[in-house]
Amino acid sequence: MITVFGNIRTSCDLFHLQSGWKIIILEHRLYFIAGDALSNGITGMAAALLAANVVDHSWHMLPAMLTGMAAGMGMSMLLMPVFVGLFGAMEVMLPVMLTAMLAGMAFAMAGAMLELSILDVLLGGALTGILVLVLILTYAADAMLRRRNL
Amino acid sequence: MDESTKRKWNFSSSFYDLLAYGPEQRWAPSKRRLFANMDGKVLFVAVGTGQDIPFFPPGKDIVGIDISPRMLAKAETRAAKYDGSLDLRVMDIHAMEFPEHSFDQVVTSCSFCSIPDPVAGLIALRRVLKPGGILHMFEHTGSHVFPFNLMLNLMTPLWKPIGPEMNRDTVSNVVKAGLEILQVNNIYLDVVKTIIARS
Repeated sequence: MITVFGNIRTSCDLFHLQSGWKIIILEHRLYFIAGDALSNGITGMAAALLAANVVDHSWHMLPAMLTGMAAGMGMSMLLMPVFVGLFGAMEVMLPVMLTAMLAGMAFAMAGAMLELSILDVLLGGALTGILVLVLILTYAADAMLRRRNL
Repeated sequence: MDESTKRKWNFSSSFYDLLAYGPEQRWAPSKRRLFANMDGKVLFVAVGTGQDIPFFPPGKDIVGIDISPRMLAKAETRAAKYDGSLDLRVMDIHAMEFPEHSFDQVVTSCSFCSIPDPVAGLIALRRVLKPGGILHMFEHTGSHVFPFNLMLNLMTPLWKPIGPEMNRDTVSNVVKAGLEILQVNNIYLDVVKTIIARS
């Protein structure tokens, strides 16, 4: 039984799971939670849209993936100053960049294989951003790494 | 004085506050907690536009330095509102005019990401700290964890011309400068942290 633990300050008790895992949201201020979701959602959509438009069916998978990742990174660099100014520095930069790389990569590869509607791309990009934020990076990793103090 | 660093921060002073609102609000609780430890004669390194001044506890005796006159000019308004003694001076950390052992404490806030020679800068701080004096740092650093370390390494060359380096190992630099680490507390991942060290 593994426990990711931390200080519980708000509705984090909702995340206590029966398995014994506790997933703690350490950012409890609504402004920043909403800001994180907004910045990652918008970046995911923009990166996915750009990547899906750069790549078409004539592309092989590997160059499509690398191009999509680079396009996503480029897009994140353009959007980052706005989100940083509003919502935070590293707390915004790292998730936004990871979202952009993943969304760009995924939708460039998908664009090389499938016919995607704009709605598919936008929803998928936004979902990538939210997943990166919630599941992979910001909260769970933050909780774990915060415990590694001297 | 390091003229290229001074030019860089003079240039950045025109848009610094626009980019600083989010980070400062996000870090406000952690900074307030760290700065609450200020005691005795305090040196605050790299005041910038004074974004940190509202987080200073009242009634303290603080000298604030910054390499950029334009940054400090913007800090004057916030300094005027501080309820305590706050003396702002244009000064390069690598060429500080203070005598040895002048300060009980030194406080830094997001400055060792951009000071050109961080170890030399920390040695300079050790010189002005009294024996047993305390260094309080609020800094962002590189990461030891993939993929954060990769991303910070990628971002560094893009941000460096107008601002900070993202991948410095500030904890190791503190040790290299001969200071004794008392506490390292991660604020966000292993990237944003407070460091407390003793001279």
